[in-house]
Amino acid sequence: MKSRFLKLLALLFAFTLIAAACGDDDAADDGDDMAEGDDGDDIADGDDGDDIADGDDGDDMAEGDDMADGDISITVTGPERDESEAGAIQEVLGAWGDEHGIEVTYLGSADWEAEINVQVEGGNAPDISIFPQPGKLADFARAGHVVPLNDEAAAATAANWSEAWTVFGNVDGVQYGVPVKADLKSLVWYQPARFAANGYEVPETFEDFTDLVDQIAADGETPLCVGIESGQATGWPFTDWVEDMVLRQHGPDVYDQWVAHDIPFNDERIVSTMQAVLDLWTEDNVFASSGSIAATSFQDNGQPLIDGDCFMHRQASFFSAFMPEGTSFGDGEGEVNVFYFPDINGDRPVLGAGTLAAAFNDNDATMALLAYLSTPDYAEARQVSQATRKGGGATLSGFLSAAQGQDPSVYQPLEQSFLNVLETAAIVRFDGSDLMPADVGAGTFWTEGTSFVNGDITAQEAADRIEASWP
Amino acid sequence: MQGAILSGEDLSKIISTLVLIVVAVGASASLWIGVNLLFNQVRTSWTRFNALAGYAVGFLLLLLLQGNRLLKPHGPDADSITRLGELLWTPLLGALIFSALAVILANNDDQTRRLWIASGSGLLLGGFIGIRLAEDARPELEILPLLLSTIVIAGIGAGIALLRGRNPVPAALIGVALGWLIGGFGVPELGDGSALESAIAAAVPGLAIGARIGLTKNAGVVGRARIDAKSRGAIFLVPALFFVTVSLIAPTLITIWLSLKDEDSVDLVWFENYGSVFTDINSFDVGNWTNIFTSLLFVLGVLVGLGGLAIGLVLRKRTGDGFSAGGPAFAPLMIAMVMIVFGVLSVLRGTIMNNLWWVFTVTVFSTGLGLAIAVLADRAKLESVAKSIIFMPMAISLVGASIIWRLVYVARDTSKSQTGLMNAVWVELGRWSTGSGLPTVLGTVLVWVLVALGVASISRSLTSRTYDKIPLRALATIVLLWIAYRFTFDGIGGFRTNSAGETVPDTIFFVQDQPFNNVWLMVILIWIQTGFAMVIMSAAIKAVPTELIEAAKVDGATESQVFWRVTLPQIRTTIGVVVTTLIVLVMKVYDIVKVVTNGNFGSQVLANDMFEEAFLFSNTGVGAALAVILFVSVLPVMVLNIRRMQREA
Repeated sequence: MKSRFLKLLALLFAFTLIAAACGDDDAADDGDDMAEGDDGDDIADGDDGDDIADGDDGDDMAEGDDMADGDISITVTGPERDESEAGAIQEVLGAWGDEHGIEVTYLGSADWEAEINVQVEGGNAPDISIFPQPGKLADFARAGHVVPLNDEAAAATAANWSEAWTVFGNVDGVQYGVPVKADLKSLVWYQPARFAANGYEVPETFEDFTDLVDQIAADGETPLCVGIESGQATGWPFTDWVEDMVLRQHGPDVYDQWVAHDIPFNDERIVSTMQAVLDLWTEDNVFASSGSIAATSFQDNGQPLIDGDCFMHRQASFFSAFMPEGTSFGDGEGEVNVFYFPDINGDRPVLGAGTLAAAFNDNDATMALLAYLSTPDYAEARQVSQATRKGGGATLSGFLSAAQGQDPSVYQPLEQSFLNVLETAAIVRFDGSDLMPADVGAGTFWTEGTSFVNGDITAQEAADRIEASWP
Repeated sequence: MQGAILSGEDLSKIISTLVLIVVAVGASASLWIGVNLLFNQVRTSWTRFNALAGYAVGFLLLLLLQGNRLLKPHGPDADSITRLGELLWTPLLGALIFSALAVILANNDDQTRRLWIASGSGLLLGGFIGIRLAEDARPELEILPLLLSTIVIAGIGAGIALLRGRNPVPAALIGVALGWLIGGFGVPELGDGSALESAIAAAVPGLAIGARIGLTKNAGVVGRARIDAKSRGAIFLVPALFFVTVSLIAPTLITIWLSLKDEDSVDLVWFENYGSVFTDINSFDVGNWTNIFTSLLFVLGVLVGLGGLAIGLVLRKRTGDGFSAGGPAFAPLMIAMVMIVFGVLSVLRGTIMNNLWWVFTVTVFSTGLGLAIAVLADRAKLESVAKSIIFMPMAISLVGASIIWRLVYVARDTSKSQTGLMNAVWVELGRWSTGSGLPTVLGTVLVWVLVALGVASISRSLTSRTYDKIPLRALATIVLLWIAYRFTFDGIGGFRTNSAGETVPDTIFFVQDQPFNNVWLMVILIWIQTGFAMVIMSAAIKAVPTELIEAAKVDGATESQVFWRVTLPQIRTTIGVVVTTLIVLVMKVYDIVKVVTNGNFGSQVLANDMFEEAFLFSNTGVGAALAVILFVSVLPVMVLNIRRMQREA
């Protein structure tokens, strides 16, 4: 009986100790919450200065055994996960990290759009994420999830990028994002030699372009390759077409109003533009390698262009990455080149896109990395690394940056011509679907657009439904 | 991630996780054993039990308060040792006080004195904790909600006690404590109140709980025995209940709560989210309901159904048995039901309708096919081989199966050869039926031979007077006749006539063409789930006593009569289990739609919609509402299933 009581006491004591140990953990967790409470969500918890200091302390204690060597590590996530793209990012960021004694890890994910929401809402955000959609960045910025650039990073961004680009990372007057990549969307890919053999000329105006389409169709060939299937993001090539056409038909002002929802999505002009795109995509005009436009994957349009199943493919500069292996770029036999998707009013508008990096905390190391991401050094290093991974030589990397002060020699001639277009364009507009709220830009604009292209609903119905979904 | 080699960091993470698991398991085990040992003391040493229990309660209570930084902390400059000490000493002090109180109460039998001691020390302890509360946890008391919630909850407690025929005072006291806590700390903003207010907010619940304890009689020998006996059940139940609460009940309640709030989970919008789900044309579109009556499937279904009904009625008049399972009217009625449901659901569109369609189709076909295979393979040659092959898709993940079937369904531009199996077959069929080569001739002969066989089977039924088999055979022959006619004259399969009048191949967009792309997606799940249904029902069929079957045969029953009248009633409960399991599973279908169409082309289902709303568009409210709709629609089936299981047990 006596010994049993002693056992009981021993157990109770052990329990007390364990509970105390767990309690310490609790305190550390609590500290985490407090640190996140910075953005003012947790009013109930209260942002007592003492508590935050305590919390941080506890945090460090808890993590102490994870990082015994005291290294700083930064995690960067993004949608680019191709071996060449993700590998290049990892290589360049890793090299920067080695220089500064920081371990930088890049994690690319095909499902980035879904994952970043889950991570942020679960309080498990990465240090930096690369946003393909300024609209999403703005959502996060307004919700207080991403933090503004510190002075150093903001100054670096302003010094390295023109305002036409930095504005996409600017939310309500505060700079949150650093542009890291630029894509040029108003391009048409074609084979100059095949054009010459058939006596076709590169169109200078939009009318020339439609005439050329009609002529090719009349010759019994197929003028265009179109495919809008893209897994989770099915429909985005259609939205690109619509945006490019809105910019051409109605000008940048209407475009801006449309994107900002100052005019409704089902505005007559937008509906007519959507219809105009589909009118161009008639059965005779389009080669769709999977039978229908909605079923054809956007990556699958390179091979038919090379094979001569179609003559032209309107797609962004990064499409070079989706050309079949061994494709060379230029004006020779079998080579592929691009021409500017012609304008209607002579104002040469350019539809661009790109990625922006933004941080979820304002640690010095995170901000220093953001500042580095804005530099031409980063762009050059990434370009060299990515081109090498793609095969080196004359292959295109698929990467493009509009950072100022880059050494143009790291780019291939075709890429230099892209840069030229970007630098000389008077009107640059960011891909509208990336600026719209996610419900529309990554939701109904894609899905209803796909239904429209598939012939299930009319342009008016699609626009009405998209308008109804605008939050 | 580069490379597969574990880095030092990975390793240390794994180790710390393992250590955490060991500590957690060890702590849980010792806690459980400790509580058991504690209650061992009840019978033999009442005082000791009270001392230890009071110690544990006091320690836990103050540890929770201190650990969550609800008690006044030291200044920010306090080092970690001081704070660790604080974390340990406050609970230890509290534990000792509670322990002492419990010992005093355990040795006091006088009712008045008990009440005074308990309620007085409750008041003091509560007040003291209230004064010591950290500044940001102090409530700014609002009298009205405080009194209101106290009265309401106390009333509820008393009411329940009265309904159960008990003394209402103890329950009312607990209600007072709860209500005062909720009204005092739950309603107002925390952090603005004074020490006095927080003392009041904490002292009253202390008083109420103290009084509740003081009201109890000090347990005598009988009472102690009862505590000992009752505690064992609780000790076994509490851990499980705790985990169920944390991992199941709490998330459910939180989801329901979130579904009543707006997209940022800030403002209460009540049922707006549910309203928006049902008014969204993409989730619920029944505007075209008049088209049901012009849909070919529906009309044919009604015709076949009427035929079946007529046969059944005539038979009932003649033999008194018109509509029994397996009878002549059974097959036409079943076919008619499927056709009518397909007809209706191909017209009424939207996410919710899609889910209903999925549930109906996959459940009916998986169960039906599984049953048919189980019966046909029973005692056949190579039974195990055949069943293994049917069961094999179960081993493939849903995502893997979806990718396989996407490749089967794929269509290519008609100028290229088809790589998808279905379209390759379909286009080739079109080529044969419109061509003039040897395949065309052979095909024509084949289809007409099939028709002839159908006619022969009908005439044999006529001569052998097995009239009950005629309706099904006639239906099959009509379908064959139609195919043969099309093959010979119009052509059948993947072809079309282009503007120049030439016959060119034409593909079917299995995944893109609405609304029957849904059915092609369902085929994937049927392919997977038939194996499951088959295995379960095969086992049930083998469990049917052979005596019953032999007796039926001795009485002159045919094989089909044995099946419909002996085997089937015997395995009815198993079929019920399979059906309910399938309904629950299909209701939650997600992976297939996600992989094959991602909800495009009118194939959206609730689970994928929920995921997109909640995690892609950050509409937490609508996402939660969809989750609740899904949950509520699965609930009745779950209840049915559980009740059946309980009845069987």
